[in-house]
Amino acid sequence: MSELSTGLSGYQIQLKPLQQADIEQVRLWRNDPDVAQHMLSQDKISTEQQQAWFKKISGDKRQQHFIIYYKDQAIGAANIRAYYQGESLENARAIEPGLYIADEKYRGNILAFSPTLLLNDYCFEVLGVQKLVAVVKASNTAALNYNLKLGYKVESSGDLLEISLNQTDYQHHSKTLKALLNRPARINKN
Amino acid sequence: MSPNLEKLTKVFTDSLGIETQQVSDDLTYNSIPQWDSTAHMILIAEIENVFNLMLDTDDIIDMSSFAQAKTILAKYEVDFA
Repeated sequence: MSELSTGLSGYQIQLKPLQQADIEQVRLWRNDPDVAQHMLSQDKISTEQQQAWFKKISGDKRQQHFIIYYKDQAIGAANIRAYYQGESLENARAIEPGLYIADEKYRGNILAFSPTLLLNDYCFEVLGVQKLVAVVKASNTAALNYNLKLGYKVESSGDLLEISLNQTDYQHHSKTLKALLNRPARINKN
Repeated sequence: MSPNLEKLTKVFTDSLGIETQQVSDDLTYNSIPQWDSTAHMILIAEIENVFNLMLDTDDIIDMSSFAQAKTILAKYEVDFA
C-alpha cells in the first residue's frame, strides 16, 4: 500500500494522505452546511472531536483519508474504507469510497470526477477489490446521478440507497470521462 | 451574429438539447438539468469536431459556461468578432 501512504496522482489532481496539519481545514469544510447537508450526520464537529477522530483513523488499516489538490490548492477530501468487518484495505473484497468537493468552484464541475477515477482505478487495479459500495441519501440526486454516470447500480430502496459498482461496469462507463481528464496539461498559448 | 458564434450556439443547442433562446453568456454547467456531465462530454466532443481542434484538459475543466467557452476557444484562434 505504498502508493496510499505517499498519495496518488492523475486526472489533473493529487490525493495526499490526510495529515495532522489538515484536520482543522477538514473540520471547517465538514461543518459547512453546504457539505454537511449531504452527510448522514449534520452535527457540528468540535476541534476535540476532530482530534479524537484523527487519532482513531491514524494507522487504521481499514481506511485511508486524503486531501484533494488541484493545481496545488486543497479543494476537498476523499477516503476509502474496507466495507466488510475484519478486512483491511489490502485484503478487502469491497471498498466504500467517499468524497466531497469543498471548493464551490469545482463542486459542479467535471473535475469532481477526478478523485473518484483515481481512487476507483487504485481500488480495482491495485487492491483488486471485487466491488465498490456506497450509501447515498435518496434526496441527494446530484451524488446519485454522479455515481450512476460511473456505472453504479442501485441495490436497495428507501431514504438511504445502497449502490455498488463492479470493475467491468466501471471501465465501460468511465472511458470517455477518463479520456477527457487524462489529456496533457495546458501549454500556455497566450 | 458572427459565423463562429452561430456555430458555437448550435453546438450548445444540439449537445444539450435546448432552445437557441436558452443559450446566453449566463448559461453555466449544471445550472440546467440538460447540462450534466454526460452532456458536457458530448458538448466537448462536438466543439472539437465543429472547430477542428483538441482542447487541453484544463480547458475542458474551465469550460463551465457559454461565455467561458468563447474565451477558451479564442485561445485556439476561433474568432467571434
